[in-house]
Amino acid sequence: MLPDLHALQQGDADVWDEAFRWLWPVVLAVAQLKLQLYFPDEAEDVAIETLEEMVPKVRDVKTVEELRPLAASIAHHRALSLLRERFAKKRAAGKIESPEPVQAETGADYPDPAADSPLAAVEQKELAEGLSRTLSELKPPQGAILTDFFFKGLSYEEIAQKHGVAKNSVGVYLKRGLETLRRIWGRRGES
Amino acid sequence: MNEQEFFDLALKVIAQRASEAERAELDTLIARQPELKAEFERLQADTRLAREVLPLVNATEATAPELPGWARGQLQTKVRGTFGRQPAPERATESETLGALWKWRWVLGLAAATAVVTLVVLPVFTRSAPPVIQVAMLDTTGATRGSETNAWSLLRQSWEKATIDSFTDPAALHAWETNWPAPDKSPVVKVVFDPATGEVRLLGRWKGESFGKTLLVEQDLAATLEQARSFIKEKTSR
Repeated sequence: MLPDLHALQQGDADVWDEAFRWLWPVVLAVAQLKLQLYFPDEAEDVAIETLEEMVPKVRDVKTVEELRPLAASIAHHRALSLLRERFAKKRAAGKIESPEPVQAETGADYPDPAADSPLAAVEQKELAEGLSRTLSELKPPQGAILTDFFFKGLSYEEIAQKHGVAKNSVGVYLKRGLETLRRIWGRRGES
Repeated sequence: MNEQEFFDLALKVIAQRASEAERAELDTLIARQPELKAEFERLQADTRLAREVLPLVNATEATAPELPGWARGQLQTKVRGTFGRQPAPERATESETLGALWKWRWVLGLAAATAVVTLVVLPVFTRSAPPVIQVAMLDTTGATRGSETNAWSLLRQSWEKATIDSFTDPAALHAWETNWPAPDKSPVVKVVFDPATGEVRLLGRWKGESFGKTLLVEQDLAATLEQARSFIKEKTSR
């Protein structure tokens, strides 16, 4: 059940408990996504800080469905800020502690690990809106098929079998899925 | 080569799953039709975007793990700091309280008598009516595919008397899920099968309380539906 937005905006402690339980998996997943490579121990703190930041922001929210994308957006920005801050300190100190995958591979002078992200420059509100739109416009099974192809490395055959679709329609799902993302997010993937 | 074939080949190359021959074929195509170079670069950018956005979208739908208990106090402090404490109910004066107590004696006496009648007499004549089960499934491709036809049959076997609605639009299904009869009507349990996420969602209103549960279709749908039936029985037999 979704938490009651009006009760949240009135500061009802029980409903906030419910909302925190509902939002926690989202903020933790986003924080871990961004921090797991460099500062995995910080993910939980970033997630808690995100939920704290959510509390006053709920006054500006119009529907309860906006809360999860907003929470994800705040967690994303907080995690990126932490990465930038920590890497700036390391650069200033002239050393970086393990793990240091970027340094090891490129020999670069502690580059900003968030700089490559096509979403790094997207404002918090815009990111939340983009996530909301993606969730509603990426029609099933487009999202799952994109994830299976790009992240699970499944072939067209495996995807067709998994989702019960024709093999020659997998490419169509992928094409439409990518077009949907481009329509929502613009040309942010271009470097 | 048509547009879709070019897309499939280019995507294979971008995902580094193409053979030498396929890479050479793409190079030849781009050399022969330079406008395809821009298309290939756009696809590279789209792929880059998808790799960034999709994990974030998937994270936005995460449902586990649970909030650690230690965090609750810190978060509630923030809620109180933002909204202030909820006002305590006003206190009555002593004489008002005594007067009210005498009135309440009558009310309590009547309530006790009513409770005896309810507990002893009514169960002899009445039993709780079973809940109305409503079933729906998401079928974005229409009810023509073998697996989903099979799913429909399994749902029908599990709830013979229920109406089973099939939705092609997730938004319409969401509207169906959130549309509840008035509280004074018969209790309702909604069962939703979503093949895209591999979930069976259960939502119910029973004796003034709401309940919900999501079951993952881990092995086969029939076993998950059996779990769903047990869960509904447990919740509505109280």
